Amino acid sequence: MTALQLSFDPYNLIITGVGGQGNVLASRLLGRMLVEQGYYVTIGETFGASQRGGSVMSHLRISTRSAWSPQIPHGRAHMVIAIEPSEAFRVLAVYGNPEVQVIWNTRPIHPVSVITGQAVYPSLEEITQGLNELSAQNWRLEATAQAQTMGNPILGNIMMVGALSAVSDLPLGPDIFEKTINEMMPPAKVPINLEAFAWGRAALS
Amino acid sequence: MVEIKENQGQTWIRNQVMAQGLCTGCAACVGLCPYQKFYRDQTAIIHECDRTWGRCSAYCPRGQVDLNALRQAMFDADDLTPELGAVKGLYMTRAKDLQIRERAQHGGTVSTLVALALEEGLIDTAVLAESEKNHSSKSTAVSDPAQVASLSGSKFSVSPTVAKFNEISQGDSSRIGVVATPCQALALARMRVHPQPGDEERVKKLALVIGLFCGWALSFKELQQLIKEKAGAAHVKGMDIPPSQHKIMELRTEKGTIEIPMEEVLACVRESCRYCYDLTCEFADLSVGSARSPEGWQVDRGWNQVLVRTEKGQALLDLARSRGVLEFKDVPPENLSKLKAASLGKKNTCMVRLEEVSGRKDDLIYTRREAILCQ
Amino acid sequence: MSIVSTGTKGQTALLMGNDAIARGALEAGVRVVAGYPGTPSSEIIQTLADVASDQGLYVEWSANEKVGLEVAAAGSFAQLRSMAVMKQVGVNVASDFLLHLAEYGTRAGLVLITCEDPGGLSSTNEGDSRHYAKMMEFPLVEPGNFQEAKDMAAWSFELSEEVRNVVMFRSVTRMSHASGNVVLGEPSSSLMAPGSSKARFQFDGAMMDQMGGPVVTFPGTVDAMHRRQLEKLARVREIFETSPFNTYAGPDQPELLVITSSAAYLYSQEAIALLGLEERVGLLKLGTTWPLPPRLLAKYLKASEKIFIVEEGTPFLEDNVKTLWAELGPKAGTKQFFGRKDGGPLPPTNELNPDRVAQGLAEILGLPAVLPDQAYRDRANELAKSHAPFRAMTFCPGCPHRASYWVINSALKQDNRRGFVCGDIGCYTMGAISCGFNTLKTSHAMGSGTGVASGFGKLSRFGFDQPVMAISGDSTFFHAVMPALVNAVHNQADMILVVVDNSGTAMTGFQPHPGSLSDASGGALPALDIARICEAMGVKVVIADPFEMEATEKTLLDLLDETGGVRVLILRQACALSPGKKGKHQFDMTVDETVCLAEDCGCNRLCTRVFGCPGLIWDPKAKKTRIDEVICVGCGVCATICPTGAITRKEVA
Repeated sequence: MTALQLSFDPYNLIITGVGGQGNVLASRLLGRMLVEQGYYVTIGETFGASQRGGSVMSHLRISTRSAWSPQIPHGRAHMVIAIEPSEAFRVLAVYGNPEVQVIWNTRPIHPVSVITGQAVYPSLEEITQGLNELSAQNWRLEATAQAQTMGNPILGNIMMVGALSAVSDLPLGPDIFEKTINEMMPPAKVPINLEAFAWGRAALS
Repeated sequence: MVEIKENQGQTWIRNQVMAQGLCTGCAACVGLCPYQKFYRDQTAIIHECDRTWGRCSAYCPRGQVDLNALRQAMFDADDLTPELGAVKGLYMTRAKDLQIRERAQHGGTVSTLVALALEEGLIDTAVLAESEKNHSSKSTAVSDPAQVASLSGSKFSVSPTVAKFNEISQGDSSRIGVVATPCQALALARMRVHPQPGDEERVKKLALVIGLFCGWALSFKELQQLIKEKAGAAHVKGMDIPPSQHKIMELRTEKGTIEIPMEEVLACVRESCRYCYDLTCEFADLSVGSARSPEGWQVDRGWNQVLVRTEKGQALLDLARSRGVLEFKDVPPENLSKLKAASLGKKNTCMVRLEEVSGRKDDLIYTRREAILCQ
Repeated sequence: MSIVSTGTKGQTALLMGNDAIARGALEAGVRVVAGYPGTPSSEIIQTLADVASDQGLYVEWSANEKVGLEVAAAGSFAQLRSMAVMKQVGVNVASDFLLHLAEYGTRAGLVLITCEDPGGLSSTNEGDSRHYAKMMEFPLVEPGNFQEAKDMAAWSFELSEEVRNVVMFRSVTRMSHASGNVVLGEPSSSLMAPGSSKARFQFDGAMMDQMGGPVVTFPGTVDAMHRRQLEKLARVREIFETSPFNTYAGPDQPELLVITSSAAYLYSQEAIALLGLEERVGLLKLGTTWPLPPRLLAKYLKASEKIFIVEEGTPFLEDNVKTLWAELGPKAGTKQFFGRKDGGPLPPTNELNPDRVAQGLAEILGLPAVLPDQAYRDRANELAKSHAPFRAMTFCPGCPHRASYWVINSALKQDNRRGFVCGDIGCYTMGAISCGFNTLKTSHAMGSGTGVASGFGKLSRFGFDQPVMAISGDSTFFHAVMPALVNAVHNQADMILVVVDNSGTAMTGFQPHPGSLSDASGGALPALDIARICEAMGVKVVIADPFEMEATEKTLLDLLDETGGVRVLILRQACALSPGKKGKHQFDMTVDETVCLAEDCGCNRLCTRVFGCPGLIWDPKAKKTRIDEVICVGCGVCATICPTGAITRKEVA
């Protein structure tokens, strides 16, 4: 394992969103891409009732030396990928720190409390300002809009993985992505996923 | 036009009317929005509405009512009496048509006037009450004068008259007539005199209100139980309370007439009626009730007394006379004072009860003492 | 094809805990697998069902967990390695059979997998089934990481055969639904348990001949069977003394000994690393947690005065370690125990995590707590309050339950007699909160709604005059409602049972059930008809479509009028996530903003404020409702409830 390197060990990555956004697939995909290259990966997930409109969070612990707990200790995330923008704030309140990096999708999914007018959803400007304040560096993508033009909003999750590959020093290039996606998806679905990955990667290159 | 302060919308209806047992079931708050529905003889809140102002509260006859403002708007000041409200004249009438009289509770006057108004085009739709098999009442909209007679007869539990008006007035009808009990007529008066913003066009469609004298309504649930107890499975064709010494209610079934002692009937009175002051239905164009004369009940039971209150009501009665669809007889001279005494009796009882509940002498929950007495 | 079945020996895979368990069972040659869906356990059976025909397994979604365990037990009695899978509450359902099973014993290996939910992330409780092992006297094992999840699942079958009794294998959410590196073993090719050539049930032997006699617990044999059971437990204790699944890391004479099991092992390991206490704190990880191996425990207990027991769930391990220490007598020495009981330092409720454990360690050792940057935390919390509005659970867009509860609530309010609904477990449990219009007024276990309603329905003699309703799902109907319904019918309880039939076990991932036309592996099976079953019980049954709201409301109002016995109303409409509906739009929805009354009197945002389907958005700038095309599934129901007709629907060609 001497070839493996990590800026932090364990490297703590959180993928967050709302049930139905493909959070679980994204985390499994990333995890698999890394296990195949010899890393220890632990993924902790909360799902089940999340399908019913709740928040979803996947914690990924990436390490060269051992397996770690499926929950990241408070304040120790290195990177947060938010497939839904407001969820980034929920995550950062517990796991954020001044050095954290955030990649975020701009498309909101309104909670029932906002839909019913009981709560107000933050504006894009407020989100941008807030994330600028709470992260050392952040990148935003209009992933859902792009995914819709490609035929399915859920492709947003793959785009976020592509984006991560552009800015992170984790070995997540197109080759290992293609190999892994071929193992995880039926052949018919592979091309659109490759396209989504490439778009995300290009967006942050 | 008096402003409605502190309207509070559905919250008022829920806390100050329904929770206090004051809801009359007039259903003025039904049909304007999805939050209230009427079923059997009760208005129910289905979902909470958090608006601080609503038409429900503005039209509710147990909202914050300014009775005198309504009288000023609807009647000639010279016609107002403390006991009966506006009185242009008192008449005794019955339908000329025997078939109508047979179906009617008493004289068939209401059915005759409604059919006439429809025939003459004074109204294009009438809102009437219809009995259901289980002795509850529903409201029906009728455009064909020939259908009116079949809906004759007093109903002892409330029907959602004002909800029906709300429904019809949002449709294609342009001149609507309503046969209303006192609480229903009061709601319609509030609507007519203080239509809420956006409601003006709809409310203008109210063309005629024929009021009914009313002592009280019976609670459907209790009435049903009473009938089941007394009549069993026998079909009850009609109910009445003759003003005899024995003080009974008659149930007319195919097997004969069953008599029920009044105490048992009064135990079934709808609670909200205890807080009503209006015997002769003040806020109508004309009001119709049962008759009293020295000739006795066997004769009187086939006649009506009619209080005319507005010019429109007068015109309709005169039209009925000239068309020959109503028969008239002389009103005994003491009748007006007897009617006034009876009405005053209800007012006094009401005021005592409102005072008991509110703990105050003048501010009587939904109105003021002097307003009840037309002062 | 899943790596769970195709992965080769020595291959490293990233496996979810449940997949690791499934793989372990395959490596041990499991043949019969049964259970009932329950988060976090459901994937185990689903994964095995998907490979059942290739791997030569029988996999069944049973009507309930008791039957599931009975089905698996039959496999064991017939010389097939078998497995029952459920969540913690399922063990309660299976417990009557479990008592008898453990008393008699098993033949081929039988493992009971229970996946539990500390903190109740997907449950209405955080029950701890480990106590059954102690109460009913059979072995309990708990894997401490994902590799162990696989290895111990396989080993449990061997253990079960070694001592001829059922083995409970306990996982938790953070193990079952978490993933980690697992090195795969050799998949088993044998069809039968060692020593057998085909499935058969031997019964000619004597009553006490466990392997060849009738499998009968019987009065008169209780003492002998119980003794035999305790002898097995003693053998287990010996085996556990040298199990490789009990591990120790740390100094020989630690200042503090941490004793842990299950996912708490991972938290403890991380907490020790966070505080840099590897040289001061010993970490004893137990994989075999009932019965506790006394010599092993004694060795480590003697080495430290401070003992910190870190476990998920109730203080099961904590109490048992303390009891064992008491039994050791003076040679164990004076101890100070720390754990989840009074004084802590761990909280007595909810799940654990590395931070809670680290806090506990710091407190015990008098160290400063390791806290993240406070200023950042405060600011981040402040922003989260305004920028991350709470996400309440709600029904999915297009869910028939939203329509069903709309109708039920409306009918009960109009009926105006303080009627109420008793319910139980499923998506429809959300009838208790605002997305279900707060309609549900009692909820407990599977089938409890009908049982409780059966009770309320007999109270008229005491002046009770509120209409009684119960609600149940289609899967729950077969699981537990039927006996309660029989009770209600036979005792003439005055109640209405509403069966919300959405054609599947939806909350847990849309598994089939006895009312479905398919089995766990997608093969065809005859479906039982709920309406006909109810009719056979002699009750009036009415079937309605909850999407036809006006008609259904009238039907229910008429049913509320009837008295004197049970009435059943089946509201039939498929779940929005069911294969037939998912991804398909029946209607295109539009909002005419010129007609939308929005906040005005006459509407007051009925669709967004009350109906609450996530596919409808309130636009606070335009002050109108909009359809969210990404979320809306085109069920068309909102057009029915719009009071002005502003929402319209057009059938998609």
